Amino acid sequence: MTAGLRSYLETDWFGPLAITALAVAVIGGLNPSFLSPFNIQVLLLAIAVNTLIALSQMIIIAVGQMNLAVGAIGGLAAVCFAGLMQVWGLPPVAAAVAALAIGLAAGILNGIFIAVTEISAFVITLASLSVYKGINLGITRAQPFYGVADSVKAFGNTTVFGPVPWLMVPTLVVVGLIWYLLNRLPLGRSILAVGGNSHAAELSGISVSSTLITAHAISGLLAALAGVVLVARLQIGQPTIGDDWLILSFAAPVIGGAVLSGGHVSTSATVLGVAIVAIITQALVLFRIDPFFVQVVLGGLILWAVGVNRWREVRLRQGPRRALR
Amino acid sequence: MSEPVFEARRVSKFFPGVKALQEVSIRLAAGSIHALLGENGAGKSTLIKIITGVYRPDEGELLLDGRPIALGSPREAMAAGIGVVHQERNLIPRFSVGENIMLEHLATQLLRPIDYASVNAAATKWLDVLGLHLDPALPVSRLSVAKMQMVEIAKALSLRSRVLLLDEPTASLTPHETETLFGLLQKLRHDGVSIIFVSHKLEEVQEICDQVTVLRDGRNACDSRSMAGLGRQNIVQLMIGRSEQIPDWAARHTASSAAMAIELKGVATPFGHSNIDLAVRRGEIVGLYGLVGSGRTELAKSIMGLVPPTAGTLSVDGRPVAIRDVAEALHTHRIGYVSEDRKGEGLILIHSVLDNAGITLWRRLARRAGLLFDSAVRRDAEPFLRKLEVRTPSLSQLVGNLSGGNQQKISVAKWLAAGVRVLIVDEPSVGIDIKTKAYLHELLRELAEGGTAILLITSDMPEMITLADRIVIMNDYRIVGELDNSRDYVPMSEGIMNLIHAIADAPAAEAAQ
Repeated sequence: MTAGLRSYLETDWFGPLAITALAVAVIGGLNPSFLSPFNIQVLLLAIAVNTLIALSQMIIIAVGQMNLAVGAIGGLAAVCFAGLMQVWGLPPVAAAVAALAIGLAAGILNGIFIAVTEISAFVITLASLSVYKGINLGITRAQPFYGVADSVKAFGNTTVFGPVPWLMVPTLVVVGLIWYLLNRLPLGRSILAVGGNSHAAELSGISVSSTLITAHAISGLLAALAGVVLVARLQIGQPTIGDDWLILSFAAPVIGGAVLSGGHVSTSATVLGVAIVAIITQALVLFRIDPFFVQVVLGGLILWAVGVNRWREVRLRQGPRRALR
Repeated sequence: MSEPVFEARRVSKFFPGVKALQEVSIRLAAGSIHALLGENGAGKSTLIKIITGVYRPDEGELLLDGRPIALGSPREAMAAGIGVVHQERNLIPRFSVGENIMLEHLATQLLRPIDYASVNAAATKWLDVLGLHLDPALPVSRLSVAKMQMVEIAKALSLRSRVLLLDEPTASLTPHETETLFGLLQKLRHDGVSIIFVSHKLEEVQEICDQVTVLRDGRNACDSRSMAGLGRQNIVQLMIGRSEQIPDWAARHTASSAAMAIELKGVATPFGHSNIDLAVRRGEIVGLYGLVGSGRTELAKSIMGLVPPTAGTLSVDGRPVAIRDVAEALHTHRIGYVSEDRKGEGLILIHSVLDNAGITLWRRLARRAGLLFDSAVRRDAEPFLRKLEVRTPSLSQLVGNLSGGNQQKISVAKWLAAGVRVLIVDEPSVGIDIKTKAYLHELLRELAEGGTAILLITSDMPEMITLADRIVIMNDYRIVGELDNSRDYVPMSEGIMNLIHAIADAPAAEAAQ
């Protein structure tokens, strides 16, 4: 194996990219309608929303924790967005800003509880999941809000050019910002440092508690944005928005090579992870396979990705010793 | 003596019910390497924590350049110029060497974009100070333990540390890496840095330190005296209050006719061992000596069935066997393994003494339908805990609350209780004090007298020469020689080192030709 190819194999994005390309080629070959502009648009719509969900979880994985409340925060923000437009007649932009603020606050609350009590994020976000979901149901009485403004509906269902939907715009901006944050800004490096070795990070002058709160704040904000964007796409404020986000939110970062104990994530590979999940889901629909089977496939994908990560980790550890001998 | 850079003057620290330190003093001069010694429980780690700002002293004062200072946190100590390299690695594994060294500076401006070129340039400057030729863009997870340690030293220096505290820096280094580290420390001493060197290895302390402070029972046994004229025996005397008992045991006559307990012939393993021949007779203590990383622990794990051998034969009591997992090694063949990693592999710290000592018995004692009674476990395990004099308030005490020495006794006791006939002991005295160590040695010897075959893995040369009947030397995953132990320290240690270095130097000699 040449050194060049080996260095590609060691990146996080190469494997997912190869699989994406392979999946597109195989499925497109078997069923040409997979590559029709309409189908590509549907695919991109799913990727636009799911990328936000995945990044919301990825930032918490980076800091070495997990956020079970991603879906509950997104759902709460979604119904608030639709509800503020329907009930109070707020203009869409004001309603969106308010919904994002609610998501941000929910994330900050999670972060503060975790940082102050030092109880595991699993327990705190399990509890807050229930709280946020309860507030959601209290507001909506489990009924959808239908009063979504026409401009919002248009934003969710028109394209910029070709098959590229407008919804891709906020997602692309967010992907760029998150990549910049985690690779170039000390704030993002602090998040990864705390995830990699929180004791060492603290001794290097990084405030662990404020870093945790920041990570949860970003997570809450992204979950809320996903909720708002999903309202635009569905044209309705469903109280069930967010209920099925959890598995996907972990699947994409893990397929993208994220280390669940923290300290290592890849933004680009996570986006590719989202794409793989979307393509496979879409393929199951195209081939008229029972949609309930999607869950099984998603579970299988996670196991496979964890297995690949494990294999790479073992090889990484053995690398230096082999080199010395 | 010149004006001290840092001084702790008559500091005391009390914990509920314990006087950890009483009026302890230490003076650190610029451009010196100062050994801090003491047995476990002597107060060494409490003093380290006071110097590095983790604890505040209850009495006494700390002075930097003659002026009193208060260190409220490890951060304040670092800001005052006191750098620490701990035993556990304090680096971010996935970050580059450069970013790890400069992390401190980056963390001050959270929203200013990082310029990696200038980070690497700045880091290279500190690596150059140490004479290290490392690519600053390399992730530290790719480095050896020794290199990581050097990166930590570079990081401490980048904070303009004038006092550098190294806690057991050589614990996981090979002799060659230790030499490199010592060269570096001598360079730093020459540059005027004041170094505190904490180690259990007296040979190293004698080699490199010029000053020494010894603690005993929370007090100064000596305070910042010169190493000149201090011999090994003097230091040991200071540490334990008496001279080291070199056991004057009669040479044992393990009849070469005794039956083979365990025998390896031409064994190869997935770890990379090849052509391993090794045999231990009943009642014999065979030492397996080698440098760290030579493959001894891995061989033990392979014998235990954790990663079964890929070639060769393994015979127990003369019959070839295949051991596929540890349960089979223990229950069918009665082979036990006392791990070097007591906390990680040897014990379950959050479980009780009884549960830890009895864990090897559960399968044997379980009644019909798998029912297990504490009384049965207690009956079989307690005599061994008593015999080893494990000091614990009760059998239900959590092992994590006991001292290192007592933990080690329990990790041995659990295998004794299981009635093993072959015991592999891996670095048995790491982290236990001299008294407990001597006791453990007597115990292993008694076991051998009673017919247990013991394979002893240790990097502690005196321990090896005290205990072993035969010493087998391993280097780079191969057996390179075997010596009968004459128990005469100097010729034995020379013989062993010659065998290791003859092999290590061979490739170089070939290249020269």
